[in-house]
Amino acid sequence: MPLSLVFIFGIPAALTVLGLFVRTSRPLGIAHNAGYLSVLCAAGILFKEVLFQGPCVVRDFLYVDVLSAFFILVTAVISFAASLYSTGYVKKDTGEGVISEQKARVYYTLFNLFCFSMFFCPALNNLGLLWVAVEMTTLVSAFLVGFYNKKESVEAAWKYIIICSVGIIFALLGTILFAYAYSLTGAKTLAWTDMMALAQGLDPRVLKIAFIFILVGYGTKAGLAPMHTWLPDAHSQAVAPISALLSGVLLKTAFYAILRFGMILIKAGELAYFSHLMMFFGLISLVISCGFILVQKDVKRLLAYSSIEHIGLVAVSFGLATPLAFAAGLFHVFNHAVTKAFMFFGAGNIVHAYKKRNMNSIKGVMRLLPFTGVMTLLGVFALGGFPPFSVFASEFLVLAAAFANGSYAVGGCLLLFLGLVFAAFLHHFAKMLYGHLPKGAQAQGEPLSGKAAFIFLFILMLAAGAAFAFVKEDALWITKKLFQI
Amino acid sequence: MQTLILFLILISTYLMTSAKRVPALVRSFQYQSFGLFLATLIEAAREGSPGLYAIAALVFILKVSLIPRVLLAVARKIKANEDLGLLINPQLSLFMALTLTYVSWIFAGQLVSSGGEGKTMLAIAFFVVLAGLFLMIFRMTALAQVIGLCVMENGLFLLAASISGGMPFFVEIAIFFDVLVSVLIMGFFVYRINRLFTHIDVDKLTRLKG
Repeated sequence: MPLSLVFIFGIPAALTVLGLFVRTSRPLGIAHNAGYLSVLCAAGILFKEVLFQGPCVVRDFLYVDVLSAFFILVTAVISFAASLYSTGYVKKDTGEGVISEQKARVYYTLFNLFCFSMFFCPALNNLGLLWVAVEMTTLVSAFLVGFYNKKESVEAAWKYIIICSVGIIFALLGTILFAYAYSLTGAKTLAWTDMMALAQGLDPRVLKIAFIFILVGYGTKAGLAPMHTWLPDAHSQAVAPISALLSGVLLKTAFYAILRFGMILIKAGELAYFSHLMMFFGLISLVISCGFILVQKDVKRLLAYSSIEHIGLVAVSFGLATPLAFAAGLFHVFNHAVTKAFMFFGAGNIVHAYKKRNMNSIKGVMRLLPFTGVMTLLGVFALGGFPPFSVFASEFLVLAAAFANGSYAVGGCLLLFLGLVFAAFLHHFAKMLYGHLPKGAQAQGEPLSGKAAFIFLFILMLAAGAAFAFVKEDALWITKKLFQI
Repeated sequence: MQTLILFLILISTYLMTSAKRVPALVRSFQYQSFGLFLATLIEAAREGSPGLYAIAALVFILKVSLIPRVLLAVARKIKANEDLGLLINPQLSLFMALTLTYVSWIFAGQLVSSGGEGKTMLAIAFFVVLAGLFLMIFRMTALAQVIGLCVMENGLFLLAASISGGMPFFVEIAIFFDVLVSVLIMGFFVYRINRLFTHIDVDKLTRLKG
C-alpha cells in the first residue's frame, strides 16, 4: 500500500482512538487540524501519483484510479476545512453550555468515523463493500444529524436513516443484479475491475434494469429529486461543520458510486441510456429545488435545496454525454463542495449568533458579524456563478458543452434555473446581511480557526477556476480515457 | 425440500403483511429468517463449504434470535402501544401483497428466461423485498419501519442466493454486520423518539416542512 493511502486511512482512525483517551476538547481540536492537514497533503500526493503512474491497486481490495483519487481529494479538502471550523464552533457551544465537554469529545469521535468511512468509499474495488461503506456513512452521520437531541433534530435523523437505508437497499439490489449479469458469463465476482474488463460481454438488458436500481438507490443518498426528501431536514438540523461535510462530500460519495456503475454501463455500449437517465433525474432536481429555493424561509434549508440544485446540475452534465461535459461535471463536484462548505460555515455562524434560522427575522449580519457577513456575501456571488469564482468556470463549461452538443433546450433550461436561483439567493441574503441590528446586540469577534477555514476555502474558490483554464486539455484527455467515451 | 422452505418464507411474509401488533410481526419475521437459515443450511450441506455453514450460523444468530429480541426489548422498554398503526386494514394489505406477488412473478420472468425453481425463488425473493417496502410505507410506527427494513434485507439475501449464487463470503459478513449495526442504531433512535415525543408514530413527525 502506498504511504499516502496509509496516511489517509490511518490518521482519521488514529484520531478516533485518540478521542477516547484525551479528556478535554481543546487539545483534541488542535490534533484534529494537524491531522487533517496531513491527510490533505497525502491526498494531494496520492492524486499526483495516480495521475502520473496509473491506478494503484492493493491486492483485490483497494483500487485507486484518477476518479477515486479525485473524490478522496475533495473529501480531504472539505474535511480539513470542517475540522478547522469545528474547533471554534465546538468551543463556542461548550462555552455557552449548549453541549458538555463530554459531548464535544463524542462529536470529535463521530466526526473522525464519518470522515474515515467517506475516505474509504472511493478507494474500494469490491462493489459489495462499497455498498457497506456507503451505508456506514449514513449510520455514523445519523448521530451527527441528531446531535443536539432536540425534537427537530431527532426527527431529521430518523427520516435520514430510514429513507437512506431504504434507498440503499435498492442499491444493493442493483449491485446483486450487476453480479448476476456477470455470473451469466460463467464466473462470479463483485470486483469492479473484473466487471469492467468483461463489460462488453455482459447482457445489456440485465445491466439496464440493474442500473435503474443503482440510480434510485444511490441517487437517494446523492440527493437527486424526487428521492431527496431527507436532505433538507438532515442538512438543516446537523451541526454546521457536518452540514458542510454532508453537502460537500457525502452526496458526492454516493454520486461516485453511481459513476462507477455508469462506467460499466458505458463500456457495455449503453452510453445513450446512461445519459438519458442522468438527464432526467438532473432536470427534475433542478426544477424541484428551484421552486423550494424561491419560497424558502429557513437559511440552512435554503442551502440544502441549493445542494439538490447543484447535484442536479452535475447529473445533467453527465447526461450531456460528451467528454467536455463529463470533465465539467467532475470539476463542478469540486467547486460545489468548496463553495457550499463555505456557505454552510457562513450560515452556521449566523445561526449560532442569532439563535434562529428564519431569514425574515435575521437582520444586520454585516454589523453583528462583519467578517462572516462579507464572506457570506462573496459566497452568494460565488455560488450563484459569478466570475471570477470557480463555480462560474464549471457552470460555464457545462453550458458550453450543452450548446456545443446541440442541446439548446437543456442549455436554455439550465440558464433559466440558474438565473432564478441566483436571484432568489440575492433576495434572501440581502435581507439578512443588511438592515439594522436587533436591539441590544453588539458586534462580535470571531474565532481565528473559523476565519482560517473561510480563507482556505476562499483561496480555493478563486484559484480553482483559473487553474482549470491551464489544464483543460489534459483534463479532457483524462476524462476521455477514464470513461472511455 | 427447497420448495417447502420457499413456501414457509412466502407464508410468513403474508402473515407479516396482515399482522396487526408488534409481537405478531416480529414472530413472523422470525419464521421468515428461520426459512432463510434452513435454505442456507441445505445449500451448505450440498456444497460442503465451511463459508456457507458460517453464513447459516450467522443468519440464525442474528436474524432468528438477536434482532427479534432487540426489537421486542425496545418495544417493551418504551411501553408503547403495541399497535402497528395500520394505514390500510389487514384484508386490503393481504390483497395488495397478493398483487405484489404477481408483479414479482412477472419481473422474475423478465430477468430469467428459463422457468423452474430458479424463477420461483427469484420471484419470491423479489416479493419479500417489495413486502418489506410495503410495510415501511403503510405501517405508521417507527418500530414497524425497522422491521420492514429487515424484511427487505432478507429478501435481498434470498435474491443474491437465487440468481448469483450468493455473494462472496466477506461481503456477506460485512453486510450482516452492517444490518446489525443499523438495527441497533435505529432501535436507539426509536427509543429517543419515544422519550422526546412520547409516541413513535412517524406520521406525527411533522415539525420539518418545506
